[in-house]
Amino acid sequence: MWLWFAKLGSPRWFYELSDKWLPWLYVSMLILMSIGLFWALLIVPEDYQQGQTIRIMYIHVPVASISLACFPLMAVAGTITLVWKMKLADMVAQSVAPIGAWFTGLALATGAIWGDQIWGTWWAWDARLTSLLIQFFLFIGVIALRSAIDSPDAAAKACAVLAIVGAINVPIIKYSVDWWNTLHQPASNFSMDPVAPNPPEVWVPLLVMISAVYVFFAIALILRTRNEILQRERRSQWVIDLVAREKNV
Amino acid sequence: MFALQFSSLSEFLHMGGVYTFHIWAVYLLFAVFISYNLLQPKMVRRHFLREQKRRAARDEELASKTNTQK
Amino acid sequence: MSDAREIQDIKGVSTWSAFCATLRRDLIIALKRRNDLLNPIMFFLIVVSLFPLGISPDPVELSSVSAGVVWVSALLASMLSLDNLYRADFEDGSLEQLLLSPQPLYFLVLAKNIAHWLISGLPVVILSPLLAYMLYLPSEAYWTMVLTLFIGTPVLSLFGSIGVALTVGLGSRGLILAVIVLPLSTPVLIIGAKAVTDVMFGLPVSSHFALLGAILALALTMAPLASAAALRISVN
Repeated sequence: MWLWFAKLGSPRWFYELSDKWLPWLYVSMLILMSIGLFWALLIVPEDYQQGQTIRIMYIHVPVASISLACFPLMAVAGTITLVWKMKLADMVAQSVAPIGAWFTGLALATGAIWGDQIWGTWWAWDARLTSLLIQFFLFIGVIALRSAIDSPDAAAKACAVLAIVGAINVPIIKYSVDWWNTLHQPASNFSMDPVAPNPPEVWVPLLVMISAVYVFFAIALILRTRNEILQRERRSQWVIDLVAREKNV
Repeated sequence: MFALQFSSLSEFLHMGGVYTFHIWAVYLLFAVFISYNLLQPKMVRRHFLREQKRRAARDEELASKTNTQK
Repeated sequence: MSDAREIQDIKGVSTWSAFCATLRRDLIIALKRRNDLLNPIMFFLIVVSLFPLGISPDPVELSSVSAGVVWVSALLASMLSLDNLYRADFEDGSLEQLLLSPQPLYFLVLAKNIAHWLISGLPVVILSPLLAYMLYLPSEAYWTMVLTLFIGTPVLSLFGSIGVALTVGLGSRGLILAVIVLPLSTPVLIIGAKAVTDVMFGLPVSSHFALLGAILALALTMAPLASAAALRISVN
């Protein structure tokens, strides 16, 4: 177990292993995504309240739910960086930040588009949208901090500290925003909660889409991490060999 | 449960009419998001490989020059 | 005091006296630099008086936003003065001495944060009723506002300290401090401003105080640890 852990910390080992993973991930994403999109766009019946706009949910909910996982992931990677000084963990942490910002940004945009239909306005200070917005700012803060510090080692540790502080704060922010919002106005009639009372023909395709987007997240993360590995290890022999092997780029 | 909801392509593209733009905007954004996040790392990788190859070639050239001078 | 005694003392300084010495030192430095002391307060005054100019002089409109305006201005004033927290110490090397001292860094950082709050937070708390009066805050909300600021501004100092500690070594800090610190401060702002607004509507606010107190307790125990870790990273 510990050997495996130590091995996984070696960037080269991860790079070579991910070479084997990537084709499988691509295939499963393709399959899941085509099933999910086909189902969501063509088969899911019209909602009695939302009509065809229920199809927006199949994008918004997976993206939003995965955007919430990014900060904890970054904090875990940060903890590993601080405690075990594992290089790979920091490369992952660095790659998660922009992806998390992208996911949060897309969740906000699709939420706004959905909001125009549900609330009749593009932006409402809805609890969920507001906490997503603050989370977006937190990601921007981490990215800004990373780019501001010149020394990679100091940047890694500083971002790790910020990620941990942020991850402790995210639930507090979420809680306080929920609390602020529910007391401001009576509980909203058109809840964005999609799953609970709905029949399986609505939530099964949602599960398919969530897993498809999760696989996509894994691919995006691995691709960025691999680039980071190459960039940081560019002076080591195995990367030089790899560059030499690579034909026609 | 598995019946298609639309009988023709134009009906599908129309999406019930009221919120056509909203629905397709979301799916378009999603497509942009997916393709950007898959293509951007590929571009970075290609750029990196080119750069490193150029550097390796230059180093080799330098090495051979110094050899001939000797 | 003889020299021998002094040398012996350096090693045997208790954490408590180191804490007090750091606190006293920061306060003395702040009192010597009158401008640094006045700037956050003036900033607070000016920002608050901008809002009536930007919104309207109408008492009804102003009183409905007064709680939020005072709170946001207090947040910004605390942000502005954060740079004093470690900057000068970093430049003249005394921060490094602080990191090298045998006492736990947690308490020394805590002392510096408390000093920062006494210098920049407490004046804002004391001044807030005056500004609330100028913004037509209903009189029944005064005590709530002062108390929430009294509990909330230390949290702003503690959270802000993490941000400054992370960025203290950077040449061009600029706005990055605000980008890091402001999102972290949102819960305090939300709860503090909401407590004042709720009192204006005659709602009970004990839960607001409980939440603010919980956040303060969390910040007191955790934030100096994060600041200490961040300082060690930034200085080395």
